[in-house]
Amino acid sequence: MPYLAKLEKRGIPTVIVDFEDQDNMVKEEALVNGVPEIRIIHASRTLPGPVDIENWMADMLGALTKPLTAKERETGTFDPGQPRVLFEGTLDEAEEFYQQTKYIPMPVEAPLAVYSDGFPVVIPTEERVAKMLKGTSHKPDEIIILHHDTPVMEGMGSPTRKKSDRVLFQPLKRTATVEQVAVNAVMAGCKPEHLPVVLAIAESGCGISTTNFPSQAVCVSGPIVKELQMNTGVGHLGPGSTANGPIGRAYQLMAINLGGAIPGVNRMGCHGNPMNNGGMCFAETSDKLPVGWDPLNVESGYDKNESIVMVIQTGGGIVGSQFSPGGYRALQKSGHGGLARRFDVKGMPGPHNWLRYLVPGIFSGREGGIVLMMVPEMAQHLVDVGFKTKDQVYDWLWKQSFEPLKTYRNRSWPDFRRNGWMGIEKTSGKPWKELPDDYMVPSQGDDPFENVVIVAGGQEEAAVEVFGGRGATFSVDAWK
Amino acid sequence: MPPRAVKDKVYKCLNPVGNVVPVEVHSLAPRVDKLDGKEIWLSITGEPDVTIALERRLKMDYPNVNWKTKKTYTISPVELSEEEMKTAQGLIQAVCW
Repeated sequence: MPYLAKLEKRGIPTVIVDFEDQDNMVKEEALVNGVPEIRIIHASRTLPGPVDIENWMADMLGALTKPLTAKERETGTFDPGQPRVLFEGTLDEAEEFYQQTKYIPMPVEAPLAVYSDGFPVVIPTEERVAKMLKGTSHKPDEIIILHHDTPVMEGMGSPTRKKSDRVLFQPLKRTATVEQVAVNAVMAGCKPEHLPVVLAIAESGCGISTTNFPSQAVCVSGPIVKELQMNTGVGHLGPGSTANGPIGRAYQLMAINLGGAIPGVNRMGCHGNPMNNGGMCFAETSDKLPVGWDPLNVESGYDKNESIVMVIQTGGGIVGSQFSPGGYRALQKSGHGGLARRFDVKGMPGPHNWLRYLVPGIFSGREGGIVLMMVPEMAQHLVDVGFKTKDQVYDWLWKQSFEPLKTYRNRSWPDFRRNGWMGIEKTSGKPWKELPDDYMVPSQGDDPFENVVIVAGGQEEAAVEVFGGRGATFSVDAWK
Repeated sequence: MPPRAVKDKVYKCLNPVGNVVPVEVHSLAPRVDKLDGKEIWLSITGEPDVTIALERRLKMDYPNVNWKTKKTYTISPVELSEEEMKTAQGLIQAVCW
């Protein structure tokens, strides 16, 4: 939309063809880009293209020639502003106020919470927010900015983000102060000592992705994990921790309140995602990493004593835990059970490379990097079979993902990710369209480092995978 | 039960909503009087089922328009260059925004 707004401002008339259910999102984008009356034509989600265009081609062309209405000629400034104090009343009244809903028409057709994720929130009284702000040395009115250059997702239209840029919270590209982040942290149930982590998450802009089944997750690494007593053991992805839970929830509340994300208006994940119910924050067990495996902060380029968050945009959440813990133990202890039969190591005690059980199945459903979570015992087994570093795990997984181009082209997402096969295939340096069907390409993407290993969890031998791969990282210490 | 004084205490509650960056609202660009003879760009962003048919129909049914095309499969349009903007007289963005 910034592009179309630029063209309209330059005197070049434009018209958008899009699906009707995206109307709210297009209009909001048009408004924040200064051309609220941009003309939109609706394509069909179901009619074949040649039939569909018959219904609107004349209107589309008319949108370039039909004279402007008075409203379309209006100029001015859009500056709604936000009061610092949103509500005054008793706590009972405030609870009702902060739980208010607004009816969202098609494509939702249900009331949705205006200020919350649907669950009750801690009321952000001025006193509670002041107490929360004691968790940081940053001033309440300080605007959230980036502390380092941050890569953006390729091909998704996000502007390049540079150090010292103001963070624009998605999807409405709003800014926020430290105090506004603290308000959301209070509402999420955070404690003052959590605030630097929440501020680091805020630095990400709290993206929500769109369209399909997206979710967001935050992994914390560094000394702050122990300082906050985060749960990195049994149930670390589940309920119970008064650190993991509220910090994860703060992400979602910031997306809703700072970014303005509303399902069916500008948050178009078709099914939503249960990982976003209450949010998802976890941490690695860095003190149980095998010798030679770097913690997430170090492999992300930070000092081992610097605490960070990695903000992961997942493409579908947790996708698998493939074998039984008992079966795993049988494999490693004495070479028995289904895993041993599959690996043809019956009667041969471990260690064995259990990653072999995951492939190629984990690549069948979705392309790109994965977040692979495993308990410490399983990480040690990988070291024992020769994976002396995490990088070796990433590289091995990536190499297992190679498949003939013909097979890769029969997947769905690569049409999009590979830009209609118009570019260059990176392992060969040749145009996609010139490669033979049997040329082997990595379904995991162009870089083994898109994978991430997280060591955490309890004692049961289990690993889980999250699609989405490596995310951007942000310093927690910068916000202390 | 909390004492009435506590229960009835009035609090100032702060706003969690982010700040809209003020924007200058612009009029749409003046429309062209007719398409014939004009340089109109079709900016294709995915949905080939629609855009292949659309491009073909436009060129077939409106041969007097100087049709030009930018194409990508992603949602980020391939933008006109500064030089191209100097002569562009209209742009259709399909199917995306």
